[in-house]
Amino acid sequence: MTSDEAVIAVIDALGSLAVPYLLTGSLASNFYGIPRATQDADFVVHLEKLKISAILQQLGPRFRLDPQMGFETVTATARYSIRALTAPLEIELYLLSDDEHDRERFRRRRRIALLGRSVWVPTAEDVIVTKLRWSLQGRRPKDRDDVRNVLAVQADRIDWDYVYPWCDRHGTRELLDHVRGSIPPP
Amino acid sequence: MEPDQALIDRLFRERVGRARAMPPEEKLLAGPRLLDRSCRIMADGIRDEFPDADEARVEEILRHRLDLIRRLEHTA
Repeated sequence: MTSDEAVIAVIDALGSLAVPYLLTGSLASNFYGIPRATQDADFVVHLEKLKISAILQQLGPRFRLDPQMGFETVTATARYSIRALTAPLEIELYLLSDDEHDRERFRRRRRIALLGRSVWVPTAEDVIVTKLRWSLQGRRPKDRDDVRNVLAVQADRIDWDYVYPWCDRHGTRELLDHVRGSIPPP
Repeated sequence: MEPDQALIDRLFRERVGRARAMPPEEKLLAGPRLLDRSCRIMADGIRDEFPDADEARVEEILRHRLDLIRRLEHTA
């Protein structure tokens, strides 16, 4: 199994079980920005009463669950890691948290028709808001680069009236302005 | 010779143009596909570095290096 097949298998498993989800992380920033290699495929899932074991069962024996549950530090979100046995990609399933922006981006997620199936992705604006937050708190240079690339590719399609209030709340406005200012003019 | 800012900006604009031209399916799966390609090149490097290693050992070293990259990214 290749890494892209592993991503499709997870999308199909979540779809089969009717688990509300959205793609996030670099899969989402690649979709709106300039693609780069990624070691992780991140999903936000709303499991409700479903157990993680049901997803694992749906995925079949080619996947293994890391028994240690993790946490994403910015929004204190619980995370399950799943590995495809023959692919280097790690699948991260983040449980939908009570964080206000986490909830809002999940509510605003878009269903797009891709690869002959429905795939749920965040809006470009929510990718920017999320990545800026991770960049500031996680101090990962890649997140900042991802934001710059999404801003450059999406250009005048971005709804700034949505982005700026969230950045004010997260304390990332200065970072956003700095990243915007670093983009060369068309 | 150091590249000047005009060249850096031009190359960036070209990357933006290519990204806009990519089909959505390709963009969505580009990350995992680029990872697999990188891993094939890394595995070739490991085989060259450890000529006596069998494929299981190559895979083990590769996984170790990927974990190291992931840790470095999270502590950058």
